[in-house]
Amino acid sequence: MDFTITKEQEELKAVVREFADKHVFPRVVEFEANQEIPPEIVKEMARLGLFGVVFPEEYEGLGLDPITAGLVLEELVRGDPECSLAVAFLVHTSWGHIACKYGSEELKEDVIKRAARGDLWIGIATTEPGAGSDLTGISVTAKKEGEGYVLTGEKAYISGVKEAKEKGTWFKDGGGHVTLAYTDKTKGHRGMTLFFIPLTDPGITVRLEKEFGRKGWSFGSFTINEVKVPEFYRIGDEGKGFYIAMEGFDHARAYIALTCAVAGKRALEIAAEYTKQRRAFGQPIAKFQGVQFQLAEHWSRLEAAHALAYKALWALKMEQEGKLNRFEVTKIAASAKLFAVEAAKAALDGAMRWMGAFAYTEENPVALAWKAVKSYDWAEGSLDIMRLIVAREVLGKEYIG
Amino acid sequence: MGLNIVVLVKPVPDPKEPPRFKPDGTLDRLAMKLALNPYDKYAVEAALQLKEAVGGTILGVSMAPPHALDALREALAMGVDEFVLLADKRLAGSDTLATSYALSMVVRKVWSNLGKLDLVLCGVESSDSNTAHIGPQIAEWLGIPGVSYVDKILEVSAEAVKVKKIIEGGSMTLLVKTPAVLSIAGTTYVPRIPTLRDVLSARRKSVTTWNIDEVGIDPARVGLLGSPTRVVRMWAAEVKRKGKVISDQDPDRLVDEFLEELRKDGISLR
Repeated sequence: MDFTITKEQEELKAVVREFADKHVFPRVVEFEANQEIPPEIVKEMARLGLFGVVFPEEYEGLGLDPITAGLVLEELVRGDPECSLAVAFLVHTSWGHIACKYGSEELKEDVIKRAARGDLWIGIATTEPGAGSDLTGISVTAKKEGEGYVLTGEKAYISGVKEAKEKGTWFKDGGGHVTLAYTDKTKGHRGMTLFFIPLTDPGITVRLEKEFGRKGWSFGSFTINEVKVPEFYRIGDEGKGFYIAMEGFDHARAYIALTCAVAGKRALEIAAEYTKQRRAFGQPIAKFQGVQFQLAEHWSRLEAAHALAYKALWALKMEQEGKLNRFEVTKIAASAKLFAVEAAKAALDGAMRWMGAFAYTEENPVALAWKAVKSYDWAEGSLDIMRLIVAREVLGKEYIG
Repeated sequence: MGLNIVVLVKPVPDPKEPPRFKPDGTLDRLAMKLALNPYDKYAVEAALQLKEAVGGTILGVSMAPPHALDALREALAMGVDEFVLLADKRLAGSDTLATSYALSMVVRKVWSNLGKLDLVLCGVESSDSNTAHIGPQIAEWLGIPGVSYVDKILEVSAEAVKVKKIIEGGSMTLLVKTPAVLSIAGTTYVPRIPTLRDVLSARRKSVTTWNIDEVGIDPARVGLLGSPTRVVRMWAAEVKRKGKVISDQDPDRLVDEFLEELRKDGISLR
């Protein structure tokens, strides 16, 4: 057991921290107010190589492992506790990895290389107006037609729809979403298949939602009106989409756990500084044990969440090396997300209380972090689904459902 | 055209960390994390922009113990092509005279190896000692022109560079024969943040380590014994200037009173 990181990892972190300190943190409030990340920041992320971290070098990525990707993400979250950059990074990294792992050679040449360069963003679209935790309820269908598939239906509450739809603003080629569809509805979840769908296709109509937090990265729905994609945009075999999606969720959950732990810690640091400055009843409020003890409790829980998040990233790496199986990875990733979201929400709630009424403004990064972390009650699997997964893996699936 | 540029860089105690001192008041360098001297980053950036404009090779040079290489690697990540490290225990305790002599010998050797040298760039000073001696002293040792406080390199040809130099109250433009030593000041050259790929590939770039014998440096002229400077005592400077607080409810009157105070001190605002 060793928590030290390599010199190389330290150097990578230092670069991202410099970027985050100089260009990101001073503008976080602006992300939320303008409801977008300024394009120059996303372009700088692309120049730095942040969209190619885990892709293999043969597809123009950096070929780094999930732990190193986590170290990079950690610096982005420190710079942006509002978590919009985290969404941009972690969704693309997780689902790009899945598209690369299960996609055809042509897809890797066409999509992954552009994704690794930061010319194209990769999102995830499983949720629909009528299906979230129970994915068998989805209605998007894909019909084989000639050399490709024709997809029809609607996806809802999807991140990055605007950035993917608008070519050239954030990404040279816009982007697309790894999309879950039925190729054979009679087979239930065994009839589901994943496809890469470019949102720039004229058959896609995007509608934006007014998101509650992490407003810098768009969020909305898109309708798919008989969109034809080539066969090589299918990710994995027909009928395997559900299982492949579950693997992608494990990646996203591990990164989300880290995001929440780091956003929580960052917010506690900001709030702790505030308590040293803010005086009440003749002394800085940091001197009151009521504040100190809460701070210690929250910090300790976040420290545990942080460590568990890295265990989940380590598990992903071990799976890639053939040393852990899918079920073990799923259990750790679900535990990590469950614990980190709850620990971060509690810590942020505390931090906001110490900051008084100032915390209840749109200009307070702690409040922005609170709203961002709240999104992970649902995103990439609700907390109750996390509980179900952990219980299923501990008790055995015969006790569930 | 293709320029051969040497950039001198120095590892310094990381300015982002709180300083630690030895009982005699000097910096405890061994206890502190090292980083690339922030002023040197401007020189590296200037070299990179020149290379991008007219082509060439950038060679980093530093005099430092081998463990400092991790801090210096940032220069390689930014785009320096290769690196020469002068590392020798006999150099310990060198003052600026001894350091500039040793570095000038390295530059001489590099110059002879390359056959042609166009520019030697360095930061205007280091963040740990702030002497600003090294650039001018190296120019003297090498017998070539030296310009300090260079804000911008305006033009470059095969035989000369035109530079804008900062002077008190303004700037001057100089045409300087090359090879020349320029110490880069100011913030015209905003140092780039290296990409992640650059960071990874920096570890694969060539680093040559020389000791003083390999460079032909006279051991009697370096280290503590070769350094005429003696640090007798270190202490915090006493600030004798006093601030004056002007307060007034009326902002117009406040500004008038402020300007009046400046006028009393002989400062006029245009």
